[in-house]
Amino acid sequence: MRRLFMEPIGIFILAMLCQVYSCAANVSDSVERMQYASVAGEEYLQGDKLETNLDDKVYFDFDKSALDAEDKNLLEQYLPEIKKAKIVRLEGHCDERGTREYNLALGERRALEVRDFLVVKGVSGKKIRVVSFGEEKPLKSSSNEKAWAENRRVEISLY
Amino acid sequence: MIKFFFMIVFLVSNHIFSILEIEILKGSDNLSKVAFVPFGIESGIEENYGIQISRNIEKNMLLFGEFENLAVNEMLSYPSSENDFYYRDWKVLGVDYSVIGKINSVNALGNLNISYSLFNINRRIKILEGEIVGSEDNIEGISKIISNRIYEEITGLKGIFDTKLAYVINSDADTYQMCISDIDGKNEQILFTSKAPIMSPDWSPDRKKIAYVSFENGLAEIFIQDLQSGERDSIQALGMTNSAPVWSPDGKSLALVVSFSGNPDIFLYSIRNKRLVRLTNHYGIDTEPSWSPDSKKIIFTSDRSGSPQLYEINTKSKRKKRLTRDGNYNARGRYFPDGKSIFFVHGRDGNFQIATKKLSSRYIETLTSTSLDESPTISPNGNIIIYATKDGSNGYLGGITLDGKSKFSLPVKNGSVREPAWSPLLN
Repeated sequence: MRRLFMEPIGIFILAMLCQVYSCAANVSDSVERMQYASVAGEEYLQGDKLETNLDDKVYFDFDKSALDAEDKNLLEQYLPEIKKAKIVRLEGHCDERGTREYNLALGERRALEVRDFLVVKGVSGKKIRVVSFGEEKPLKSSSNEKAWAENRRVEISLY
Repeated sequence: MIKFFFMIVFLVSNHIFSILEIEILKGSDNLSKVAFVPFGIESGIEENYGIQISRNIEKNMLLFGEFENLAVNEMLSYPSSENDFYYRDWKVLGVDYSVIGKINSVNALGNLNISYSLFNINRRIKILEGEIVGSEDNIEGISKIISNRIYEEITGLKGIFDTKLAYVINSDADTYQMCISDIDGKNEQILFTSKAPIMSPDWSPDRKKIAYVSFENGLAEIFIQDLQSGERDSIQALGMTNSAPVWSPDGKSLALVVSFSGNPDIFLYSIRNKRLVRLTNHYGIDTEPSWSPDSKKIIFTSDRSGSPQLYEINTKSKRKKRLTRDGNYNARGRYFPDGKSIFFVHGRDGNFQIATKKLSSRYIETLTSTSLDESPTISPNGNIIIYATKDGSNGYLGGITLDGKSKFSLPVKNGSVREPAWSPLLN
């Protein structure tokens, strides 16, 4: 799908679709506040974190959010523990390169990739909490490939 | 409905962490030379005031490395009125402009009456003459007004010496502070201190409020803080992530990013009736909105093409236009005050630098030469960009004048400073 959109004809089709869609969106797309998840849902953070002896981080390529085979393997190993937990918190992070707000969105996208994988594997989406810190909470503060690779991660914590 | 109201005690700046101080890195070889002659004083007026005012004006004018000065001890004469002013005294020293002035009187309320003049030495004419009345307690403020007028007369650009800067300081892994200071680094105020990250400060057009993102409740949430009262108001958690708030030019709404079920899109948020209206709707990431000066368009970053690129959307017709094509990373765009060009973060060959582009042209011009540059903000007169960059593990601010005359840095003593946001001019 994405590849198609990089072609000129794809861009044209996309542009047409966007036009049609945004016309429709004009009519009714006004959203009332407070219909969605709020900070009140984060109270579990006060509770005890469940300890496991598994590696609790999944790593990503720069500006990418796709999971590779290694990541999926790690998550598979994690599944029994995840299924036992009441709350699964997925915290998405990025390296410092690029812009902060874009990285905030990218970190969220990474955490969502993990969530989607877990849901496909039978974990209830209701107990998964997704949060992104973008590039705001690096594990390593130095500026090199090794530090960046460690910082591009989703951290899994169970409650 | 839960409402989050926090009263914040303004902490008096304690000088432990920060205080930005501008260091000029590179001045051009042929800057205009300005002589700031100590102001004359009528008898009975505090003697120091004369030299205080001329020094303040000199500091302001030299702040960004745009001019060079003539040392007071090299001056051949110290005129305080046009009658004592001889062009040859300045011409011979290679001076381009001279500033003279006089404190004429002080009344019972402590109000000073000050007159000042600016001379163009090469053209041998007086190009500015003014008078100002102000309190003895506000010599700094008076000097800023005079500096602005002189700067405007010489450059044709608005003076920016009474503007402010907002920024985030990260003094250690678990301390984040939302700060503001005068543009010269003086009068720093810490608006809010948190153990969780703070992001994306943006000034309201009247300079009375700042919107920013805080993670204090565990996820990204937008707050508006009143600078006078210190009161903070969460605009309420909507969706998963709320981010990137920017005030509309009329101050009545924010453009911001809300991610409902994980898909970040741009919304307009009306401050009075607290309603959200969707502006973009795409499965890709849409973020980093910013208004055109005429409020008609919003520039934003989207990865809908496969990499982050800049787009603009007409807020009425919702028509979109792609603005960048060169390079695989063009993000966080902002319009110049004239609306004709944009500046943004441009990634190429692993370097992330600040770049500009005319909307009418394809050509991208890179301004900076470090590799982790981000969060550019422009002076309200469109002449100077301040941005965040990094040296080792510490973040500092860099600055550049767009005419290429000067480069400067604004380091902090401890920790990292980032996300500078230049205030608008006071109207």
